[in-house]
Amino acid sequence: MGIIKKLPVYAEKVPGGGIVTTSIEKVLHYGQACSVWYLLFGTACCAIELMCTGAARYDFDRLGMIFRATPRQSDLIIVAGTITKKMAPRLRRLYDQMAEPRYVIAMGGCTVSGGPFYYDSYAVEKGVDHIIPVDVYIPGCPPRPESLLEGCLNLQKKIKQQKLSDWQK
Amino acid sequence: MTGLRTEEFVVNMGPQHPSTHGVCRLMLTMSGEKVIKIEPVIGYLHRAIEKICENRTYNQCIPMMDRFEYVTSMSSNMVFALAAEKLAELEVPERAEYLRVIMLELNRIASHLIFYGVTAMDLGALTPFLYGLREREMIVDLFEMTCGQRLTYNYIRVGGVSKDIPKEFVPKCRETVKTIREKLLDYEGLLNENPIWLVRNKKVGVLPTDLAIAYGVSGPVARASGIDFDLRRDDPYSIYDRFDWDVPVRHNCDCYDRYLLRLDEIKQSLNIIDQALDGLPEGPVQAPKFKPMSFKPPAGEVYSRIENSRGEMGCYLVSDGTTKPVRVKLRGGSYSQLQALPHFGTGGMIADLVAIFASLDIILPEVDR
Amino acid sequence: MTKDALKDYVAGHYEGKLTPLDTGRFDLWFEVKAGDLVEVAQSLRDDEQLKFDFLCNIGGVDTTERFEAVYSLASTVHKHRIDLKVVMSHDAPEVDSVQQVWPGANWFEREMWELYGINVKNHDNLTRFLLPDEWDQGHPMRKDWDAPDFIRMPEPGQ
Repeated sequence: MGIIKKLPVYAEKVPGGGIVTTSIEKVLHYGQACSVWYLLFGTACCAIELMCTGAARYDFDRLGMIFRATPRQSDLIIVAGTITKKMAPRLRRLYDQMAEPRYVIAMGGCTVSGGPFYYDSYAVEKGVDHIIPVDVYIPGCPPRPESLLEGCLNLQKKIKQQKLSDWQK
Repeated sequence: MTGLRTEEFVVNMGPQHPSTHGVCRLMLTMSGEKVIKIEPVIGYLHRAIEKICENRTYNQCIPMMDRFEYVTSMSSNMVFALAAEKLAELEVPERAEYLRVIMLELNRIASHLIFYGVTAMDLGALTPFLYGLREREMIVDLFEMTCGQRLTYNYIRVGGVSKDIPKEFVPKCRETVKTIREKLLDYEGLLNENPIWLVRNKKVGVLPTDLAIAYGVSGPVARASGIDFDLRRDDPYSIYDRFDWDVPVRHNCDCYDRYLLRLDEIKQSLNIIDQALDGLPEGPVQAPKFKPMSFKPPAGEVYSRIENSRGEMGCYLVSDGTTKPVRVKLRGGSYSQLQALPHFGTGGMIADLVAIFASLDIILPEVDR
Repeated sequence: MTKDALKDYVAGHYEGKLTPLDTGRFDLWFEVKAGDLVEVAQSLRDDEQLKFDFLCNIGGVDTTERFEAVYSLASTVHKHRIDLKVVMSHDAPEVDSVQQVWPGANWFEREMWELYGINVKNHDNLTRFLLPDEWDQGHPMRKDWDAPDFIRMPEPGQ
C-alpha cells in the first residue's frame, strides 16, 4: 500500500481484483524516465568517471540506465570529455542517428564551455552546445560520480515535466 | 566456386566504438573476415596541450599534465616535475621522495586494474570489470584522502608534493595492499585457465622483439616480447635504486603474455609499496628554496623520462630563464605502440584485432595530446 | 658506458660531424648538420660500443630566431642516452627523414611537419595527422601564428 500512496493514481478494489485510474502522461513519464539507456560516448578524462559510475560502488543500473553501444538503441548521450573541432561533425552525426525522444547530458567542464582548454588552444570546440542541444549541464573537472547521478536524476525530473502535446508538433 | 568474384573492402572502426579506449579510428581493408591492412587515423583528441603550456608558469603547467595522461596522472605530473627540477638543480626532501614513490606505484596498480576490467569487457566478460573497479575504488579513496581528487590529482609538484598525508593514510594503505594481494588470486582464478580466454588470447597479436625495438615500443608490451628493460632499474630516477623488486619478462610475445605480465607487475608494485611504507621518514614535503610564482630555472634543455604503466613517458623541456617554458614536448608510450600496430595486427579476424587493441592498453590523449 | 667515457668515444670517432653543446647540463647534447644526419644516425645505431637502437623522441622547437629538430636516443643494450640537435634557418627549414634507420620516426616527423612546417625529405606519408581535415590556417605551433578565433590567456591585471 505504501507504493500506491506515492504514485499519482487512483486505485479502487472491485470484486475479482482492482482498478487503477491515471493519466496516459503519467504512465509514459514513468516508463520513460525510469529506463533511460545511454550511449557509451567517452572521449577523455570524464569517461573514466563515467565508467566508475557504472561500476559497483555508484551504480547506474539502479536508476534503470544501461549502456548501449550504438546510438540507434539509446535515448541519452552523455558527452563525457573534450570535443575537438575534428570530432564535432562525428558527434553531430551520432546525435542525428538517435531516435526521438532523445536527451543530451553535457558532463564536465570541457563540454560546458571548453574547461581548462578555453585559453590558448587552437583545436578545442568551446562548449558542446555549439553542436547539439543540451538538456543537463554538469560542471566539474571531472565531476564526481555523485554529481553525475544528480544530473541523471535532474534529467528524470525534466522528463516527467514534459507534456503529451509537445510530441505532437 | 572458382568463378566467384571476391574483392576487398574498407570498413571503418570509427571514432566512437564501444570499448573505452578513447576516440581512435582504424580504417581496415578486409578480404572477407580477414584484416589485410590497418590505417590508424588519430587527432580526434588533439587539445593542443603543448601550446597551452607555453603560456603558463611552471606550476600552472602541472594540471595540464594531469590531462595528458589521466589514468596515471601522478606519472604525468612526475615527469614534468623531474624535468623542471633537473633544470633548476632543486633538491627534493626525503619524505617527498618516498611519498612520490608510494603514489606512483599505487597509480600503476590502479591503471593495471582498469586494464584488467576493460580488456575483459571488450572480449565479452563483464564480471572482471566490476571486480577491477571495486579494488580501484579503494586506491582512489586513498588518493582522495590525500589530495582531494579522484582522477586528476595535481599532487606531485615541482620541488616535492603539494601536501603531507593525513595520519589515517598509512594503516589504510597497508590494509589496501593486503586486500589487493588476496583479490589477485580471485582475478587469476577467473580468467587465467578459462578456455575461452585462452583461445582468444594465446598466439594472437605476436609482436616480434626486433620489430618492437625498431618502433620504440616500451613498457609491459616490450617486456612481454622479451626485451628486458625497465627504466626504474636501468636508468633510475627518484629513489627507486633503494628498493628491491623483480622485473618480470615473458617471451611468447602474444596477448596472453601481456595480460599475465601486467598481473605480475601489480604484485611487484605491492612489494615496492610495502618497502616504501616501512622506510618513510619524517620531514618537510616541499623544497624550501622553491617559490611557485617566481620560479625561473636557468636557460637550458632537458629530456626526462619515467617508466609509466604504458611504457616510457618522456618530457622534453626548454627554458630560457623566464617563468614560462619555451617548449614542452611530451611523449607517451601509446604513441609508439599505435604506430607499430599496422605491422603486427594484420592477418587475423576483426575479433582478434579487438583482443590485440585491448591488450596494448592504449590511451588516446597520450597519442594526440 | 659512463657519460664521460661516452663523450670521449664520440669525440674520437665523430670528429667534425658531432659538435658538443653545453645547453644541457645533465645529458650529452651534440649538434649535427642537416646533411650529415642520416649517416651519423646509421652509424650511431650500428656501432657495437654505442648501439643506439631505441628512438625516444623527435621534437621540433621554434625559438623565435631559428628552428631546431631534436632527436633523443637511447640504447636498450648498454643503457645509455644521447641527444642530437639539428639547427635550421627560419625561412626554409628542411631536414632528412631518419625512418630507414628507426622506423618509429615516421609519426614523429609527420607531426613535426604538420605543426611546425619543417619539411622532411624522403618521408613516405606527409599528410594531415592531428589537425582537422579541412584545416587551412597554417602551422599552429609556430610562435608567430595567430588566428581570428584563437583566445589567448590574459596577463594578470588585465
